[in-house]
Amino acid sequence: MLIEQLAITTTPKYSFPQPTIDTSLPQRLIELSIHSLKHAQNQPFQLNQQFFQQSNNLEQIQTTRTQLQPIPLTPKQEETMVAAVDTSSIKIGETTKGMVIAVRGATIWKNRKYYRYLRFGPFIFHVTEENKKQVYTALQRAYLNSPYEHNHNGSPSLLQMPTRIASLLERWQQTMLSKTVTNGLILFDGSLTSGINGAPTQRIKEILDNARKKQNIVLAFSKMTSLRFNGYLITDIPINHKPPYLFKIADLKPKPPIVLLGDVYVAKLTKGNYAFRLDIDKQVPTEQKIEALEKLLGNDLLSQSYPETLRLAHILCTFTANEVIAMQHFIARKYDLKIINRPDMHRLLFGPFGKGETCS
Amino acid sequence: MKLYKKEGNIVQILSFPNETVEKGDYLLIEDGDVGKGLIVQVIDVQFANIPGILEELLRSLPDGGELIQGEDFDPLEIAPHITYIQDARLLRCKIRATMNNESLSPNSSWLPSRSQSAIKKLPIPTLLKMAKTTGELPIVLGGTKDSMLLTIDASSLDGRLNIVTGKKETGKSHLSKLLMLNLIRYGATVVVFDLNGEYTSLGMTSDEKRNAYHNKIHVLTPSQNFKVVLKQLNLHVLLSILIHALHLPGTSAREFRTIWRSLKERDNLTLHELGEAIRNSRCNHHVRDALFSRYYALLNSRFFTDNVAEAMLLNESLLKAKNEGGAIIINLRNTSSIDRQIVVEYVLGKLVELLTSWKLKAVFLFAEEAHLYLRETYWDDIVTRMRHLGIFTTFVTNQPNTIRENIYRQADNIFLFNFTNEHDLEVVSRAARVDAETVISIATDLPPRHCLVLGKVVKDFPMVVKVKALDIKTMGETRLFFKDTN
Repeated sequence: MLIEQLAITTTPKYSFPQPTIDTSLPQRLIELSIHSLKHAQNQPFQLNQQFFQQSNNLEQIQTTRTQLQPIPLTPKQEETMVAAVDTSSIKIGETTKGMVIAVRGATIWKNRKYYRYLRFGPFIFHVTEENKKQVYTALQRAYLNSPYEHNHNGSPSLLQMPTRIASLLERWQQTMLSKTVTNGLILFDGSLTSGINGAPTQRIKEILDNARKKQNIVLAFSKMTSLRFNGYLITDIPINHKPPYLFKIADLKPKPPIVLLGDVYVAKLTKGNYAFRLDIDKQVPTEQKIEALEKLLGNDLLSQSYPETLRLAHILCTFTANEVIAMQHFIARKYDLKIINRPDMHRLLFGPFGKGETCS
Repeated sequence: MKLYKKEGNIVQILSFPNETVEKGDYLLIEDGDVGKGLIVQVIDVQFANIPGILEELLRSLPDGGELIQGEDFDPLEIAPHITYIQDARLLRCKIRATMNNESLSPNSSWLPSRSQSAIKKLPIPTLLKMAKTTGELPIVLGGTKDSMLLTIDASSLDGRLNIVTGKKETGKSHLSKLLMLNLIRYGATVVVFDLNGEYTSLGMTSDEKRNAYHNKIHVLTPSQNFKVVLKQLNLHVLLSILIHALHLPGTSAREFRTIWRSLKERDNLTLHELGEAIRNSRCNHHVRDALFSRYYALLNSRFFTDNVAEAMLLNESLLKAKNEGGAIIINLRNTSSIDRQIVVEYVLGKLVELLTSWKLKAVFLFAEEAHLYLRETYWDDIVTRMRHLGIFTTFVTNQPNTIRENIYRQADNIFLFNFTNEHDLEVVSRAARVDAETVISIATDLPPRHCLVLGKVVKDFPMVVKVKALDIKTMGETRLFFKDTN
């Protein structure tokens, strides 16, 4: 069956200043997406609504001691652009050979009082045991210029593929922001820990270098952390101080090959119970780090200690159930995938006690 | 379209944005494997309950209620699919019939296949043809939404009780005129209680020329060209007027009967002699006073006369209408409440008399705002005794609660125009020939001059029709203060 050829173009209207934007990754994403879907044609297709969260890699970091001296913050109104990046991935179904996944990324920036966004995707892939290496290698090559660079674990497993492809897209978006924004604050979702899957040290270093060259400061907010101090999660440490403030978690000893490219702080930016782990580029002097936080307080909305720009990035890239249905509709129509309903074995075996496969 | 759910006699169908289906449309759910089809009518169109839709909408408005500006790089063009899913509709449909080999039955005990059934729109003419609503006496009511003509058969109004209702200025009287003129065309005898003089110019075109019905429209205005000679009155008709319209007590009625018989024996039945007889009666003075007050009410109505030449005989008009088809318009405009009741009592009494003696075969009676002149006991009479005698009534009202519930229950046809008030619709929905859900859902959205036709005329397939225009002189327009000031 002949598949209709999709118009493959990158966005002609990238709203940032455009010095030398490398658009090879989105281009490659589209090509691989279409190529992989062609091979899924006419296959039975099992719907699946299991969401993949961008899982925090287990950080093997030991805390020795820390200065629990809170650093008070005063909002600084000096006009500063705030930009943020986030991506999400989702498995939208299974085929007899693999699975169909979708990834999407969102870049948000706030200039003066308006938020703007640029969304990439959804990119849909049919990933199988046979093609996963090819897909991932091709994407890595498009992004890193050489396959398996700093990749100690080879190609990811099939189940890891959605998050790993999303990570690649996210790194590309971060690179674009670090090259295009000037004198701004760039917010990442997650940490600045490298040397783990999806976070090659060299690449993150480059992103941070690029950002510094353009007088940007990277602030990485982690929604979850496994770092503990005196048995407490670092974000749960009781501090008797009025927010906004942050305190540094000093002398962290990561086990190789893990590298911490940022200094780790706990930031409590608004009243309430929420505090977040915050990684700030190590190479940036402490005064500038604090000033960056103060500029963030003066330029972005903060709700429950979390910056609105980053929240919007997350909201805009997350797939809703409606979009999942639409993508299932798209692949069923375009690639003639026959949708089947495979029985849920948990339900089948355990009846009302089976909570479904996704909850196993 | 896809069959989604069935609960009771409600079927839910999933429809996509490229399929244009509206309230009132008929759909055929065909199950090829069993060779049967289910005919359903759309009674409500809702958005399909798509998972994640709330998140989708919230996401588009995160910036203090303003749309967040941005661009989407969507190379696979998924966005149209998202809007396609978002705009999916859920059609709530009422099962109307089962189609089996081109014949219809009201059976809905089977269920078509959800996966294999094909759903398509059923054009109204096809449905009408299958339902065999048209016969030898077609009446074109108007056009359906898809520009097809909705034709009913005059025989489906024969022997039936009809109600035309809707809020004011929606076109009730217009439809009544259309029905009436078509009945006349087929030779029927029609009597209209015309409360506002709206029907008096039915014989004229809009540019005030005589139309084809001119000679068949007989306008009788009480106390003007419609008077009654006492001599020609039957005692029971006059007693009905006295008892029901003028509330004469029983004792006084007995005395009146004695006086009347005495005058009749002497062939002395005139208004003057009747007055004298009451004056000279040796009855109790309270009875005499009661009789006198009613006598003066009759006299003051100027509806009764002793001059035979002055009396326009209702019989003649009715018999003329019987032979050629025609309408007797009883113009009750400018008639007081009491006089109106006197006239109506007289006309109904006369009709019963003529029908009982088979001088008339049957009469189609159109009663506008009947609660203003019809006495309590007549409501039951109309749906029972009078129908058997051959009076087939059409009630026209903008106050549906003025018609008794038993009338709705026994109504054969209902022509329902727009109502926005739920209380009004609730009253109408008591009719036996329709379900409340259909009435409430469809009637609230009817535009002016559009009518939901229910009942035997459409073989119980409720249909919405835009009532066709008539080239007649309009008399029912509201008088306006500011109309000519510009």
